[in-house]
Order: sequence, then structure tokens, then C-alpha cells
Amino acid sequence: MKTDSSAKLQADQLHIYRSGKEVLSGISFTVEGSEVYALLGGNGAGKSTTLLSFLGFLAPSGGSLSVDGVDVGTDLKAVREAIAYLPESASLYEHLNAYENLRYFLQLAGVPDDKAAIEAALDRVSLDPESRGRKLKDYSKGMRQKVAIALAILRDTDILLLDEPTSGLDPNAIDEFHDLVRGLADSGKTILMVTHDVYGACQVADRIGLLRGGKLVGEFSAPEGGRIETETVHRAFSNRTTRKEQAA
Amino acid sequence: MSATLTIAKEEWRYWRRSNLALAVVAVFIVILISVSWLTALRMHAESHERAHHQADSDQTFHSQPDRHPHRMVHYGHYVFRAPMPLAVFDPGLDSVTGQTLFLEGHRQNSATFSASGSSADLGGLSWLTPALIYQVFAPLLIIVLGHGAVTRERESRALAPLLAQGLTGRTLLAGKMLALLLFVLLLLVPLVVSALISLGSGESLLAAASLVGVYLVYLSVWAGLALLISSILHKRSSVLATLAACWLALTLVLPAVAVNVSSYTAPLAGKIEMELTMLTEVRDLSDGHDVDDSVYDRVHASLLEEHGVDRVEDLEVNIRGVLAGMAEAKLTETLNVYAERRMEAEMRQADLLGGYGWLTPALAVAVASRTLSGTDLDHYHRFLRQAEEFRFGFVQGLNRAHAEELSYIDDINRSRDEESWMRARVDASNWQVVDEFRYEPAGASVRLASAGSSISMLIAWLAVLSGMLVWTGGRLKP
Repeated sequence: MKTDSSAKLQADQLHIYRSGKEVLSGISFTVEGSEVYALLGGNGAGKSTTLLSFLGFLAPSGGSLSVDGVDVGTDLKAVREAIAYLPESASLYEHLNAYENLRYFLQLAGVPDDKAAIEAALDRVSLDPESRGRKLKDYSKGMRQKVAIALAILRDTDILLLDEPTSGLDPNAIDEFHDLVRGLADSGKTILMVTHDVYGACQVADRIGLLRGGKLVGEFSAPEGGRIETETVHRAFSNRTTRKEQAA
Repeated sequence: MSATLTIAKEEWRYWRRSNLALAVVAVFIVILISVSWLTALRMHAESHERAHHQADSDQTFHSQPDRHPHRMVHYGHYVFRAPMPLAVFDPGLDSVTGQTLFLEGHRQNSATFSASGSSADLGGLSWLTPALIYQVFAPLLIIVLGHGAVTRERESRALAPLLAQGLTGRTLLAGKMLALLLFVLLLLVPLVVSALISLGSGESLLAAASLVGVYLVYLSVWAGLALLISSILHKRSSVLATLAACWLALTLVLPAVAVNVSSYTAPLAGKIEMELTMLTEVRDLSDGHDVDDSVYDRVHASLLEEHGVDRVEDLEVNIRGVLAGMAEAKLTETLNVYAERRMEAEMRQADLLGGYGWLTPALAVAVASRTLSGTDLDHYHRFLRQAEEFRFGFVQGLNRAHAEELSYIDDINRSRDEESWMRARVDASNWQVVDEFRYEPAGASVRLASAGSSISMLIAWLAVLSGMLVWTGGRLKP
């Protein structure tokens, strides 16, 4: 296996089958430290499958995966301890308030209960102090997402995997979330997010991998100090270039 | 705090905040306490009633005046089976087997039932006992609380981040199982109270503790089953439907099928058919009332030789009493053969039924419960055997009085005139041959040994489910 020693996340010729169908067909990519990498693709492109593979929930039928240099298949415990994962639609307990949710998850992760640290994390994600004691069933999706991000901050893992993190959020919440993600990356976190939001990916990602039909069909990098051009990615995403080529 | 304990505590917090869970638990507790209280009252009343009737029957027999001893053989005597202390929890077969026997010479009567008026105290629901609630309805409660244990995590998408942060599936299932087991312990509180009360009524600690242990294993089986299905299936509706089907099959359908199959494969001879066969054999025996029956010729001869006399009138004993005793012994031997044959057939059928505990833990716990409570078929048979031994003892005691205290001449002339009639009787002190009947149940260790196979079945169920949970926990996926 080719291992890039500086890569925090690496997929090499990854093949995944689900229910007898090949979902990922030999994709390869790396995510470097302090980088935001967005895997962009439509429904069924294999985005979430890629994330679940890094977490060891799906075993590759070919190729390999490594997290911080550790092969996912050999030391799953170490791999999972290095990652904070946010599934699509923040997955927390509705019958608990923000504090209770955080304490429960942190206890199970073996993180000491530190009230000040919890308040600081909730401040960092800008969760209204008055709502922190309310049960999550009364929260909006954006507020839940903030609690989930606070959990990731408190776990203080180097790597974050985000599955459609802005799906269903209002524009303001999306902007807030992008700022948060950028801030985390700037503080040294490595972030792999999967999304079908072209604009959002271009706003926040250092690199974008375009996934289509289980194959990585293109990669886009942000220029030094700038953003990835939305129009270019959008064209590639909607396959217009290919259609033109086909027409030609 | 360990992860297992943290998960268990969280599960309890969820239940405490769930209105449905609280409502279901409250309803269950109210029903359980009501039924336990009413059953205890009923058993207490029956116990006093039987003790009162027993004392009344003893007193009536003892207060009979001087009379011919054979009249007292036919006068007969009632014996009552006092309920076992644990019958307040599991009356078992007591409600379908007789508790009262009329004992008399030359016959083995069937046990008769206690007053049916007591069924009114539950508004026609006297069949509902604490044991039945634990066997049938407590699993439903465990299903209501446990069906969402893992599926809820899946549906709320919390399972993936939990596992993704390094929590193993086995730890998660261990925490959920711990929560359910703590709930099972809570469910067992009324049973523990019943067991403690039974200790005050003379029950042994071994039997009471074993009964609690049996239900702990049984309800743990249901907790394990609920958790297993919850961890395998992905939708709460599917889990609930599957568990409801399991509950229906294991607590209602399979036990009913097992009863029918057992009756079919180990049929009992019909009562009428058996009694006709027995009567045919009994008719071939000698009649103890007929001293001139030819079958007694050899007895006559040997008695005359033994006493060195030529005529029965010269014997020191009343030959009519001697022959009555001999005939009773012979008759009883024959009756016992048929009684034992019938009881063996019933036990074969019961054993066959108990074997179906491998298929359903509800049957295994029912058998173990009534065995430990002393309300099973074996204890009913013990009552019949002890009552028969008692019957034979007092009838032979009266026959001895007939042989030794009433002269042959007075006996055969008793119908001649009033004076002869008055002479042909013995002193009323002879009625003391009827001693106080005290039913002796099997000891706790014997009951525990008898329940051994059913307990093994329950442990096997729990072991298999535990193994499956460990296996499933190692493969738990969001």
C-alpha cells in the first residue's frame, strides 16, 4: 500500500460493495493536516460510503484506507479515537439538553467532565446560553448541529468527518457553520466533509473531490489565499463539459 | 464511571422522561400489587377455612357416641390440604386439583374442590395470579421498555457517532442489558415481598430464594431477547412486531400446543374406563362383610389352629373384625395399584409437557415456579398418598377395635333386639384412632431438585441469548 506519511486521511484504490453492488470503484485521495477536503457528488455517488469506510463500518473489498498513518483494518479502536464524526442531521438525544448530551458522549469517549470546557465549546459554536438547558427536541437543526460541533471540539480529535453538515440549514446557519469549519481547520483540525452543496463546498474547502458513480472524476484546489471557483466546479458537477464533449 | 454503567444510567434517564414508559410501568405495578394482595387474601382465607373445617371434622368424628366400629368406618372423615406458603404467589394446580378428601372404608374417593365462591373477589378474574402476571405480562413490559434500546439509537442516528468515537458494540449492549436487568430487579420487588411473607408462614429460605432466582433468570431471558431483536433489526416498528410475535408464540401459543401434544402423545385412560376395570378386579376380591365367604376358609382354619379352639365363637378375637382388616388391606393394595398407575401416567404427561420448556421459557418457568411453590402435580399426588395412608391407618384402627373390643357373639346378634343392639358397640375413646391430619409437602431441597430440569432450560435460554448478544455486539453496525 502506498502511504503518504503526511496525509491525515488516505484512500488508495478503494473498492466498496454494498448489497452486491459496487458503490466505490477504486477511488484514491488524500487529505492533509489542517485541510478542509470536500467530497462533492450527487445522490448515490458514494460520498457517505466513503466516510463510513474510514470509520470501519464498511470493509473494503479492494484497496486500503488509513487514518493518521494507521490502517483502518488493523487498529479500528485507534482510528475511531482519532476521529469525530457528524452524521447527516445531527445525531443527539432529543430528551436531553445540550449539557446532558455533551456530558454523555464525552463520558463514553473517556473525556473528563469539565464544565468550563463545555461552556467554552458552546460559546465557540455560538449556541445561545439561554437555550443550552432546554431539551434538544425544541432545537432547530442548526442549533443541534452546533451542539454536535461542540462535541467534536470537546473531544479534541485531529480529524473531523462531516456528512452533509449543511443539509437543511438556513443560509445564515450555513454561513455560521462554514465560519466554524474554517476556524477549526485554521486551528489545526483536518476535515473531510461530504456534500452536494457546490457553493458551500467552494466557500469552505481547500480542495474538492468530485465523486460520480463511485469514481473520483475530478479534483479542484483553492489557489493560495483564495477560494475554489464555484462556476468551474458547478460545471463539472452538472457534467456540462462532458455533454459538450459528447456533442462534439 | 465505566461506559457500561454510563449507558445503563442514560437508558434509565430516558425511561424516566418517557411518559409511555412511566404509564406502562405504573399500570403494571397497580395490577401486580392488586392481584398479589387479592391472591394473598384469598389464600389466607382458604387456609383458615381449611384449618377450621379440619378441626371441625376432627371434633365431629371424635365426639361420636359409643357405637359399632364398622359404622365409624363408613361414617368417614374429611381431610383438607393446607395451602403452601408460596401459593400466595403461585397457586399453580391448586385451583384445578381437589383440596379436600372424604376418607371412608373400602373406597378411595376423588379429591373435591374448595368453595368456588372465592373466585368472586377478583370479579371473575381469579385465574389471574401474581405468578401468571410475571410469566405472561411482565415480558410485555420488558418488550415495551427494551424494544427501542438499540433501534432508538439507530433511528436517532446516535449509534454511528457513538460507535465512531470508539465505543464497542459489546459495551453498548452490555450497558443496555444492565439497564434492563436493573429494571427486572425492580419488577421482582413484589415477588421478593411475597417470598419474605412466605418465610413468615413457614416456607424455607431455599425455596423462596430459588423462586425469586427462577423469575430473575426468566425475565432476564426476555430482556436478552428484546435487546437482541432490537440490535438486529433496524426499524422500531419491525422490532416491536417481531417481539410481539415472539411473546404471543412463547407465552400463549406454544404452551397451549405443548399441552395438546402432551395429551395426545401420553394420553390418560378415561376415569370411567379406569374405574370400570378397577371395579371388575375389586369384585373378584373377597367381601370383608361376609364372614362365610369361601375365600376365608383357610383363614378360619389357621385362626382356629392358632388359638387352639374348634369354633369361631371361642376365639379371643372377633373374626369379623379380623376379616374386615384383611379384606381392607387386600382391597387397598388393589386400589393403590390403580391409583399409582394413574398418578404415574399423569406424571409422564406432566414430564412430557415440562420438556417443552426447551422450546418456550414461559413453560419452563411455569413448571419451575409451581414445583418450588409446592403447588404442582407431584404435590397433589403427595396429598393423595398421604391422605390414603391416613385413611388406611384409621380404618384398620377401627377394624382392630372391631376384632379386639367387640365379641363375636354380640356382633352377630346385634340385630336380634334392642339390648343386643346396644351391646354391639365399642367405647367412643376408640375414635381417637383418627389423629390430626397434617399434610407434609416435600422439603425445599427436594423441590429444588425436582425443578432442576426446568431451571436448566431457563439457564440454557439465557446462555444462548447471551452468546448471541456477544456475537451481535461484535458486529453491531449503525
